[in-house]
Amino acid sequence: MENPSTSGCPYAPGTSAALAPGSEPVRRIAIAGKGGSGKTTISGTLARIIARRGRTVWAIDADSTPNLGLTLGLPREELGGLQPLPRTLLVEGTDAEGKRKLALGHPPSEVVRAHGRLTPDGIPLLLMGSVGHAGAG
Amino acid sequence: MCRAHAGVRHLLGGLLNEEEEVVVVVDMEAGLEHLSRGTGRGVDTLLVVLEPYYKALETARRATELGRELGIGRVLGIGNKLRGDEDREAVRAYAASHEIPLVGEIPFDEEVLRADRAGRPPIDTPEAPAVQAIGALATALGFPP
Repeated sequence: MENPSTSGCPYAPGTSAALAPGSEPVRRIAIAGKGGSGKTTISGTLARIIARRGRTVWAIDADSTPNLGLTLGLPREELGGLQPLPRTLLVEGTDAEGKRKLALGHPPSEVVRAHGRLTPDGIPLLLMGSVGHAGAG
Repeated sequence: MCRAHAGVRHLLGGLLNEEEEVVVVVDMEAGLEHLSRGTGRGVDTLLVVLEPYYKALETARRATELGRELGIGRVLGIGNKLRGDEDREAVRAYAASHEIPLVGEIPFDEEVLRADRAGRPPIDTPEAPAVQAIGALATALGFPP
């Protein structure tokens, strides 16, 4: 559906009624695409724009070649020193049906405060680490 | 599922459970390896990047299907690196034929390449067309200026 105010503009953004009125607010965004598709540029820039518009934003790099930090404004020489979230944050508990289940041992906000690397727009960055090279776990 | 995969999934799932009014942005692998049926429900919006060439579009289509299988409520497309009307129409036609609603269209932008080469973030050039388009994307997602 064409927005009349932007029709004719070759790069008219958001031309479909993607977010129906009354739909749930957007809070947990995952961005996926082919390597080199610009996924990380979009993720980092979107996160910073949302933060600059006054919202609290967390950024999570779950890519196997993590470089979201650069787009978020970390100096290149700091990227190598970033550590993935330690698996020791997970504790074993039981769910409602009594099944054993791993869960964070602390509230997410505490984990983010302790392990997030704060980036220039106030966005903490967390690295998930690669599933492909995680070894025996 | 091996323990390492499960660990990453549980960590991400735990972070997505935050109850405060926090916006979480996750840069994912195309195969959504970090999500499972359980943690996928913690994501309310999956954005798939559609570049106007076949392999990228196919990857985006598979990510769209995976996202839906994982129970993500909203799967939306973003056209990226669009060099003009032909690219835009190609992405729109593909998205329409696979029922992927488009929420944003980002032009090809030399400035993004220059920033990449120089190792600086694109947002340092806020007037760049791609950055402007990502601003419009933020607005479309419910984060107006």
